[in-house]
Amino acid sequence: MLQYLIKRILIFLPTLLVISLLAFGLSKAAPGDPVEQRNRGLGDEAQRSLANADRVYRETAAYLGLDKPVFYFSIAPAAYPDTLYRILKRDERETLEKLTAQYGNWPLISSYYHQLRALDRNSETTVPDDVARRKVRPLIKQLYLGYKDSRITSLLDQLASITGTDTAQLARLHPDVVQLQQHYQAVKAGAKPERLYLPDLKWYGFDNQYHNWLSSFLLLDFGKSYIDSRPVADKMKDALRWTLIMNILAISLAYLLSIPLGVYSAVYKGSLFDRTSTLLLFILYSLPNFWIATMLVVFFTTPEYGMDWFPSLGLGDLPPGAPFWERFVEAAEHLILPIFCLTYGALAFISRQVRGGMLNVIRQDFVRTAWAKGLNARQVIWKHTFRNALFPIITMFASLFPAVFAGSLVIEVIFNIPGMGKLTVDAIFQRDWPVVYTVLMLAALLTMAGMLIADVLYAWVDPRVNYQKKKA
Amino acid sequence: MLIGIQKEREAAQLAGTALHQDQSYRAVVKRQFRKNRMAVWSLRVLYVLAFIAITADFIANEKPIYCKLDGETHFPVLRSYLIGLGLDSWEARFFQYGWHEHDYESVIWPLIPYSAGTMDRKNNNFVSPLETQDVPSWRFRHWLGTDQLGRDIAAGMVSGTRTAMIVGMVSMSIATLIGVFFGALAGYFGDDRLRVSRARLWLNLLAFFLAYFYAVSARAYALQEGHFGREALISIGIALGIFLLLNLLATLLKRSPVLGRAITLPMDLIVMRLIEVMNSIPALLLILSVVAIIESQSIIYIMAIIGLIRWTGIARFIRAELLRVRSLEYIEAAQALGYSKWRVIFRHAIPNALTPVLITIAFGIASAILLEAFLSFLGIGVPAEQVTWGSMLNLARSQFSAWWLAIFPGVAIFVTVTIFNLLGEGLADALDPRRK
Repeated sequence: MLQYLIKRILIFLPTLLVISLLAFGLSKAAPGDPVEQRNRGLGDEAQRSLANADRVYRETAAYLGLDKPVFYFSIAPAAYPDTLYRILKRDERETLEKLTAQYGNWPLISSYYHQLRALDRNSETTVPDDVARRKVRPLIKQLYLGYKDSRITSLLDQLASITGTDTAQLARLHPDVVQLQQHYQAVKAGAKPERLYLPDLKWYGFDNQYHNWLSSFLLLDFGKSYIDSRPVADKMKDALRWTLIMNILAISLAYLLSIPLGVYSAVYKGSLFDRTSTLLLFILYSLPNFWIATMLVVFFTTPEYGMDWFPSLGLGDLPPGAPFWERFVEAAEHLILPIFCLTYGALAFISRQVRGGMLNVIRQDFVRTAWAKGLNARQVIWKHTFRNALFPIITMFASLFPAVFAGSLVIEVIFNIPGMGKLTVDAIFQRDWPVVYTVLMLAALLTMAGMLIADVLYAWVDPRVNYQKKKA
Repeated sequence: MLIGIQKEREAAQLAGTALHQDQSYRAVVKRQFRKNRMAVWSLRVLYVLAFIAITADFIANEKPIYCKLDGETHFPVLRSYLIGLGLDSWEARFFQYGWHEHDYESVIWPLIPYSAGTMDRKNNNFVSPLETQDVPSWRFRHWLGTDQLGRDIAAGMVSGTRTAMIVGMVSMSIATLIGVFFGALAGYFGDDRLRVSRARLWLNLLAFFLAYFYAVSARAYALQEGHFGREALISIGIALGIFLLLNLLATLLKRSPVLGRAITLPMDLIVMRLIEVMNSIPALLLILSVVAIIESQSIIYIMAIIGLIRWTGIARFIRAELLRVRSLEYIEAAQALGYSKWRVIFRHAIPNALTPVLITIAFGIASAILLEAFLSFLGIGVPAEQVTWGSMLNLARSQFSAWWLAIFPGVAIFVTVTIFNLLGEGLADALDPRRK
């Protein structure tokens, strides 16, 4: 058994690795710049001078760990330099990548970029006049993002004509602009497209973003939210409480109701009770829970239809200092509908399985023998039949984890309950990746743990299952 | 299953009634299926839904099916197909006035004279199906009410039917293709039957690397900037070319004694591991996060992602069937006749394993439709102007008094999901007589 457990856990590792790569890859493919996203709140002061803005950007990037190479290695055309990651700003880096993809000559592109930065700096230092500066700054900013030939040429021409004809202050920039134009011409003249078709494996070592994230994840440090810099673990701890309360209540309710229901309708198969309950459960099973939840919200939490029986969305607004009993009652009132929505689907699913499992067993010879022995109904049904019908219920227990999690995601969004599901959906909408990939990883872990628990329970219920000598 | 058929046959012979009945596997399954009333009714409802989905443009459309204007006869609905293909264009007056504003000499309107996106300004801001509406005649009434923008809910339901059907079919087709491929690999070859030469193994691994580089990495700029569909096709072509070339090379190199030595690939193990990995990924979360990062929202991506994730059930089914089938005599006969392994797999083994897969496909379609409805309910991944059942249901949350927005789309989702579930149940019963 122990050997089997160890083997199973070892199999988890590649799975986790794949999921971590998926989550990480997704976060890198997502549009938007997390550093900008975080700095948006800092206001104009940080952005006042170029040097200052650069410094703030660099600090934030370092704080978020985004100043490291992305992965252990990269497979890219030989034309790309292995130091590209050092250009921290995402949009500038992408512009340079696209230029390289067209011309393939990194040294020339790099010097064009440095000249552009020099022009940017000089426009700040040599042109003190705000009004004059405003004429050139937007053009320079756009040059950072331009990678199409026509776009760059037209921006450069505009800059040249403004600085060439305008006031004394702007004229000081003209040499820089001319130089930049020359650099750009050099890039175009010195194109080396053949270098784009040469594969090159670049090794970045272990100090990279993925490695740092994964190793701190394994040490249970889930990082900080991009949005409010709170530790992800803290945010999840708060959210987890509500999700756990709801799900544990819903699952236990579902099991408590569905086992007797399933057993009863299997024992009295074909009776009126069995036929109606089977039909009802099938309908319940097919009712999409987000529809039912919406209906409940629409009809039972508003005075529109004269059925305002439940409090509105959320968890109420009592201060945390209020007496425990009042807070408890308020939370309970708000949780009735969500828990109902979570329960009915699981209830229908489980009791259908229980009934099916019972029916498979009830016709077998040993059950007939048990009856023949003169055992009473309770013993036959619960001890002989039910115990053997437990298998599907157990395997289901494992698949219930992720299903319930997904279900509560919907319910939490609709009923506006600050649990894990709501946290996740909000994080996805806000591109708060540390939260998203932590949830992804934990959900995968939970799924796999569920499978493992199912296997172990299987062996416990059915002594015939032996993991030591699988397959002779 | 074979035993089941035999029993069936014996029963028929004993009864002495149905001797002339077709006793092929499919015919038996069909007869079993017909006995299930619920499943048969579901199939009928499915036909209706499919009919609505296919003829949606003729059922709910702001354009007339036929009209006569200033002595000229037009068939605007049919013409819009030509115009969609770029073969025709509207006259100026059809641009200047709305379709409902012309004085037609004679006209035949579709059953619902509104498209899903038509905004009826006179009846905007949630007009109930029951209250008086500002419409010229009962023919233009909004039978299921309108939403905030004055869009007709009945028309939205029709277009939603089309979306749901397309999502279900396309995503499950993708899943079936992938699932059958992997399932067949695992089931037919098992852990012991796929022997490849060293040269082919290594060259195929190399081909993976090269295909990734030349089709994706080196073409990233073209894929981003050019016309995506065309560039993606070119990339796929490049990748296939690389694989073909290196496999030809492998066939040549096979003659050498060192490179030609055969290695047994444990396909079953590899595929089952892959399925295990896929199954532990929380699918809903993954789909949510993938869809959220795609900038150009389209239903196509949703279908592709669902298909790419939901193939594992089908693969397991096919695998189990092929593991059983591969040691049967007729497969051995085919092998003894010297047919190539691919011919045996595709012509002989898979066709016999496909029928049970229909069960998984039916359930899969139900869950794909549910997933699409849920995503558009959350407003993730489906363009805002596309009207679907889920997006209409979502509108109910912004206006609690609009009960029609909460009920009708929900019923549609429920009915569709239910009939696919019932079909799946019916098939499962029909294919496995023990389940009676």
